[in-house]
Amino acid sequence: MNVAEVKNLTKYYGKLKALDGITLNIPQGRIIGLLGKNGAGKSTFMRCLLGFLKHKGDITILNETIKSHKESIHEHIAFIPDVSSLDDRLTVQQTIDYVASLNQSWNAEKAQQLLAGSDLPLNKKVANLSKGMKTKLYLLITLSLNVKILLLDEPTLGLDIVFRKEFFNTILGDFYDESKTIIISTHQVEEVEQILQDIIFIDKGKMILFEDVEELKKKHSIFTVPSDKIEELEKHKPKLITKTLGHVSAILNSEIKIENAQINKPSLSDLFMEKVGGSNA
Amino acid sequence: MHKLKAIMIKDWHINKKSLLIPFWITAGFYVFILLSIAFAYFKGDMNINMIDLDTGPPVPVINYIVNMAILGLPGLMSILFIIMLTQNALNEDIKKNCELFHRSQPVSIWFRTGSKYLMGIAGNWAIMLIIALFNFLVINTILAIFHQFDFYSAFNGMILSSISFMKTGLIIGSITFFFSAVFKDKAFFQGFAILLGVQFLFLIVNTMLNWNLPLPLTYLFKLIKLNPMEGLENDVASLDIRNHISMVWNSILFNWKTLIQLAFSGSLFIGATWIYKNKEIK
Repeated sequence: MNVAEVKNLTKYYGKLKALDGITLNIPQGRIIGLLGKNGAGKSTFMRCLLGFLKHKGDITILNETIKSHKESIHEHIAFIPDVSSLDDRLTVQQTIDYVASLNQSWNAEKAQQLLAGSDLPLNKKVANLSKGMKTKLYLLITLSLNVKILLLDEPTLGLDIVFRKEFFNTILGDFYDESKTIIISTHQVEEVEQILQDIIFIDKGKMILFEDVEELKKKHSIFTVPSDKIEELEKHKPKLITKTLGHVSAILNSEIKIENAQINKPSLSDLFMEKVGGSNA
Repeated sequence: MHKLKAIMIKDWHINKKSLLIPFWITAGFYVFILLSIAFAYFKGDMNINMIDLDTGPPVPVINYIVNMAILGLPGLMSILFIIMLTQNALNEDIKKNCELFHRSQPVSIWFRTGSKYLMGIAGNWAIMLIIALFNFLVINTILAIFHQFDFYSAFNGMILSSISFMKTGLIIGSITFFFSAVFKDKAFFQGFAILLGVQFLFLIVNTMLNWNLPLPLTYLFKLIKLNPMEGLENDVASLDIRNHISMVWNSILFNWKTLIQLAFSGSLFIGATWIYKNKEIK
């Protein structure tokens, strides 16, 4: 069953084509990564999904057609842009009360449980919280909402590695079950690689790939040969050959056989480099 | 309606500091007067003289004018703070980078804009009325002790003056609220500058081509203009303050102009919400 269906989604900013005919179906119960360079169109894609941006093409989420923003869809979809998008003028308690009062899916018991396990200062203004504390507050809010879809748009932007890890581990451990769908947009794929089930590569507004992560990794391998045997790789026309000390490597189809080549499993960022190229993955 | 209540509570938390500033200014004013009185008392210069009032206009007229005058400071403060709050109403969340957080809540955009509109305009009205009521009690107690007190004239003076300021605040606040949906920053000044530009352009065109294009600022001033003191001199001369009060009620509230003012303000609210709703959030 699909929770969202996107057909030929196109978005222009003036003359710039930010999204170029994206068509995909998002299945229920999956954790999907949206990977692209800065400016590839990841945020635009998410904002179009929610109707925050005017667009061409058809979007259906949870059987609702999205032409413009509909507040009602947020009963079932939580959206987290990044932790600094909380309202700095409210205190922690006021933020929690505000979200709790507006969302029917608010689970007060869970919120209380999460609050008890945190050291969040209830009377402190969000503006005066550290990034780590803001992350905890955002997690508390998100995890207390019993929604069907969670959209995370670069949620850990500006956080240090400890909080980035904590963020994703908590999302996975406390939120996810097989009835829920999570879409995570990021350009720091290493941190989410272990939790993703599907991956979408997006570049210059175009969807390059949408595949099951395990399948994708099975299909490809990193072949490393000594530098003087570079032609062994070149004959398979890889998009990218990387040079290391005395060796060259390329990602190729796993079924290819190259004598004496060292074979390794590629990471998602290796695959992204291979499919998209560039150095900013 | 509990969602509207939740949003209003949130907006109150955000705006309460600004909303309460007129209280502190008034409190400071009273403290200053009390200190002056105490200083005069201890220096032996205390001299309260109401003799001039005894030989002046009749008691109801004095009560009426004094109670209109006590609205001067809170009324002007109310308009000033209405402008301050409404000019940030629909653009501040965007500036503060929390627009997406608020928009991602399952609540009607009309509730969100309605709450901001009410907080910016009715919130300031409420503060003004509370200060007015306090001033009313203080001033009329003094009048009752040292001179004479006529409740009918005093109360009508205060209420009519309050209504004048409330209506002016409503119109100016609605215009500024509309500008806040259009402009990202300094909405009042940007909007006013554009209106001023159009005013001068139309004036030049009218003069040069002998046309009769409507002048926006002239129309707005006409719409806002309320004068509860109008005709007071004649009524004082004929000692008919009750007639004057009933005339002012008609000229300030019970007429077609009020309906036009309400329709104008309502249209600006609807227009502002429509623009805000259709704004792309990047």
